[in-house]
Amino acid sequence: MKHDFIDRYSKLESPVHALDPRAKAIALFALIIVCVTTPPGAWWAFCVYAGVVVIIAAASRIPVRYLLSRVLIVLPFILMVAVFIPFMHKGGASYDLGPFAVSSEGLLVLWNVAVKSTISVSCLILLSSTTPFPNLMHGFERLHVPSFFTTVAAFMYRYIFVIVDEAQRMKRACESRNFRGRWIWQARTVGYMVASLFLRSHDRAERVYQAMCARGFDGTFPLQRESRMRAADYIFLSVVVLTVLAGRLVILWK
Amino acid sequence: MHIPDGFLDPKTWGTLTGVSAGFTGYALYAAKSKLNEKVIPLLGITAAFIFAAQMLNFPVAGGTSGHFLGAILAMALLGAWPGFLVMVVVLLVQCLFFADGGLTALGANVFNMAVIGGLMSYYLLVLSKGALGRGLSERTSLLTCTAVFSWISVVLASIACSFELSISGTVPLGTVLPAMVGVHAIIGVGEAIITTVVIAVVLQSRPDLVDAYSRSPEPGKRLAREVA
Repeated sequence: MKHDFIDRYSKLESPVHALDPRAKAIALFALIIVCVTTPPGAWWAFCVYAGVVVIIAAASRIPVRYLLSRVLIVLPFILMVAVFIPFMHKGGASYDLGPFAVSSEGLLVLWNVAVKSTISVSCLILLSSTTPFPNLMHGFERLHVPSFFTTVAAFMYRYIFVIVDEAQRMKRACESRNFRGRWIWQARTVGYMVASLFLRSHDRAERVYQAMCARGFDGTFPLQRESRMRAADYIFLSVVVLTVLAGRLVILWK
Repeated sequence: MHIPDGFLDPKTWGTLTGVSAGFTGYALYAAKSKLNEKVIPLLGITAAFIFAAQMLNFPVAGGTSGHFLGAILAMALLGAWPGFLVMVVVLLVQCLFFADGGLTALGANVFNMAVIGGLMSYYLLVLSKGALGRGLSERTSLLTCTAVFSWISVVLASIACSFELSISGTVPLGTVLPAMVGVHAIIGVGEAIITTVVIAVVLQSRPDLVDAYSRSPEPGKRLAREVA
């Protein structure tokens, strides 16, 4: 059973891991929003954002190789945009690359999505890799996210491992009987697997609820240790937000 | 189809975040009577189930594969608004913990996969099931509509996604639309097969668990009774 595929490395010890989930969430969300709304021509601003991300990543002691492998998730989307670039013909000088003419407008669009998505994905990965899921949900709850979402997500987190395990067991059983999906009509077999997965999950939900009631569940998840916003959290939050905003505003003055 | 950050411009993601937040707020209000502490474990485990089901890739053709979306399935099983909320939680967790879909694009992703590909397609399903229901048995009309609208759900979501990307100036509409719709028309066939098979199997063994099937007892109270 792979227990740690959601918030892997979130239990390491580092200055970043020790911060309050709220401070990390607000700081990194602010970074993402500022980054996404920066005009693509503001090269220096992106250097500042990337610098902040690299410093946080270094301080978190998460293996670089792991971070890079997770960032690759945006690659297919960037490639998709790259494929469409030869079809963009508005404005700017154009460069001839063999049979294609590439306009500078198109290249700017590619740079825009590549840099913004890479920085934003890094922020999200840093957040989830330095904060255990229950703590982050608890932080959100304190930030007044409706408790419906945090509670449902908490259940999802508890059982996702069990259900994914069940799904993988079925997949393995299927493969060991020489099922190899080749054509789309074989999706029917996946349908049967999903159906039995649902029925089993549902039975499990009933058992879980009864077991929880027997142990005094009242709809809330108590946390062992209430985390508090300390001086370090406020300093981290304000340093990140001010640096990022400064990087953004420098461009306006020019 | 999970759009990352940076692919949409502020006016597009801002608007769609507002729209999706509105739908989510209304869903919390509409499903309020059903959302007691008895139902929450069921919804949480259904969310985990949708999540796990999305990990079962099915082949499209050649080497490529598509994965299951599950919006129509969640709504047919749980009812429109609880199903919508489950999809929101799934997208939220995928965004925060898998960086699958961006934070600023979350509103757009909820809009595509849970509003357009979810609520809208599901209500079309319910309407046409009613229309078909006069001639055919309910089981047949439900399964037929499930197949048709699961396909439509995936295709509509991909159309919405193409429009958002082109309005943001990321890709030209003329080229992205045929490409996206072409790929998703095939993925949609897989979605339709899986969703229909699941509903058929569940109807066979536990018809009371299918909210879209009216012959199951006490349509309104089913959710609460189920876990009681």
